[in-house]
This record gives sequence, structure tokens and C-alpha cells, in this order.
Amino acid sequence: MSKNLNLITAPLRKANPITVLILGICSSLAVTAKLKPAIVMALSVTVVTALSNLVISLLRKGIPSKIRIIVQLIIVATLVILVDQFLKAFMYDVSKQLSVFVGLIITNCIVMGRLEAFAMSHGPWESFLDGIGNGLGYGLILVIVAFFRELFGSGTLLGYQVIPQGLYDFGYVNNGLMILPPMALIIIGIIIWLQKPEEEK
Amino acid sequence: MNDRYIFRYIIILVAIVSVLLSAAAMWLQPYQKRNQLNEQRINILKAAGITGVDNKNAEQLFKQHCTDKREGDMPLYIIDNQTTVIPMRGNGLWGPIWGYIGVASDGKTVVGAVFDHKSETPGLGAEITTEKYQNQYKGKQLLKNDDTVTVEVDAIAGATRTSKGVEDMIEQTLKLYLPYFEGNE
Repeated sequence: MSKNLNLITAPLRKANPITVLILGICSSLAVTAKLKPAIVMALSVTVVTALSNLVISLLRKGIPSKIRIIVQLIIVATLVILVDQFLKAFMYDVSKQLSVFVGLIITNCIVMGRLEAFAMSHGPWESFLDGIGNGLGYGLILVIVAFFRELFGSGTLLGYQVIPQGLYDFGYVNNGLMILPPMALIIIGIIIWLQKPEEEK
Repeated sequence: MNDRYIFRYIIILVAIVSVLLSAAAMWLQPYQKRNQLNEQRINILKAAGITGVDNKNAEQLFKQHCTDKREGDMPLYIIDNQTTVIPMRGNGLWGPIWGYIGVASDGKTVVGAVFDHKSETPGLGAEITTEKYQNQYKGKQLLKNDDTVTVEVDAIAGATRTSKGVEDMIEQTLKLYLPYFEGNE
């Protein structure tokens, strides 16, 4: 039981896909300018990693090793397209939020990384939990980065103004650089820097 | 794991996947079409200043308010016999942008505008979809010079190219409708 729990908690910190494995950097730069898309992206990646880990783990004994990457890609792409089609039909607003990210989910290194490193050699239930854990670990960093970028870049959180007008009257300005991708890289760098010494202890 | 197995495996997998995907697409298409149509109706009504329309009542409210429409080269929708709503298409920084602009029966005053985009930068160009940006258009006058039409609004700081795209889109579209407005005046 504790081993299974560990599958979910380890990716949050000491095996975090972004800050430790350095996977999924590309999408964490792209979707973190605002908090809301970051949360939506985090949830969808969690669903896709969990389900694709599950499916690949169930199929793992039959998958010919020569073409395993192709098989993984087919499964991931199919899942993403199905989820996207469902959302378009029944949750149209959510699907509009996600539209740009669908492509990013398929190419997300975390999904393929977990399939190759974990699901190909572990049972379905463990793989499913590993997928959820990694999705959450990815989401955690995404939310932290988006929090700082939206706060300092636009003065809002989830679209609501949080920096009071009074401060602007004193000459405070939103930092436009925060909205651009380089600052996401710097914030991720700072998180890694803060996390590193703790890990070495 | 010989080659024959690999071929058989991949062919069966691909067959299953394609059947699954086409079945899903066929089953879900009517729902998706309806959603897209409703979104269009919501936007048209919003550009005419009618808010509070959602996916559920869009069809009914649209039928109730849309008194006339024209398709073809110069599509337009007349809402409540007063406002003319014109669909627009243009280019943003990364991809297409589109929207609707509602013009009052005097042919000059903008009643409202709605914009949407495919892939503008979140926090910058994507701000064209916010109420804050779109509300700027309400009550603005169309400035007509010879053969161009413009509306003056504040651009979004940091998103010059997208703001310019919206400006060009409005100008290019309304230009074509000049004879229509003059007939109305």
C-alpha cells in the first residue's frame, strides 16, 4: 500500500517530472502565462498520462519491442483525439479552453517518458497511479509558475484583479516580461535551485 | 516476435483504432455541429448588445431576435430590425482571428463587437476575447474617409501585432459594406 502511495507522492517532489527529470519543459513555458489554462492543462495531462499508462500496461506483453514507440504514439494520439471529441460535443466551453493544448498533450515528453520508463514494465494499477502522480507533479509546477507569472505579469489571479489600484497610482507597473516565455524558464530554474540542496541531504 | 507478428500486430491495432475513431466522430458530429452553431448565434447576439445567451437558449433567442439575414459575398444579420451584425475574418500574430461587429441603424454607431482567435499569445494577444477589450467598441463611431472605415480603440500593450490585426480586419471588412451603409443612411 505504501509503495502504491509512493507512486503518487514521489513525482510531486523528489521525482518531479519537470524539476528533476526535466521533461515537459516545452509546454510548461507555453501555457503558464495565466493560471486558468495552466490548471486545465494540468488536469488534461493527468487524465491522458493515467489512461495511456493503463492501456499500454495492459498491452505491454504483446507489444513487439521493435515498434513499441509507434504503438505508444498511436495509443496516446487516439486517447487525446477521443477526449477532445467528447469535450467538443458535451463540454464545449472546456474544449475551447483546451483547443491549443491538444497538440501539446500528444507531444508532451512526460506522457511518452512514463510509458517507456514505467508502463512497459509494470502492472496496470501501478502504472495508472504512476500516471496520476506524474500528472499531478507536472501540474504542481505549472500552477506555481503560472501563479507568479499571472500575479506579476498581469496583476490578476484566475482573471480577478488582486494588486490594488492604489499601488498602480503610486507608479507600480505590471512586468510585461513575466508574460513572455523566458521568465517561465527562469522561474522553473529558481524552483530547481531551491529544490536541489534539499535533495542532496 | 518475428516480422510477421509485428505486421499483424500493427495492422490489427490500426484497424481497431480507426474504427473506434470514425465511430466516435460519426456519433458525436451532430452534437459538435450544434455547439458550433450555437456559439455563432451567441456571438452574433452579443455583438448586437444582447447578453445572457447561453448554449441552451441560443437557438430560441436567435430565432426570436434575428429578423433578417443575408448570405453570400456580403453576409449580414439584422437583429431586432435595428442592428446590422457583420461577420469578420482576419489574421492575428500566430493564426486566424475572427469576430462580429454590430452597427446601429444609423450606419455609424458601433453597438458591440466580439472577437475570437485560434492561437494568439495568452495574456497578450488573447486578451482580445476579454470583455474589457471588447467593451471599448461599444458606442464608438465609425470613422469614414473616402473608401476606408476605422474604429479607434486602445491597442493592447505588448500585443501590437494582434491589435493591428483586429484593426485591419475591421477596416477590410467594413470597407466592403460601405455601399450598404450609405444606402441605409
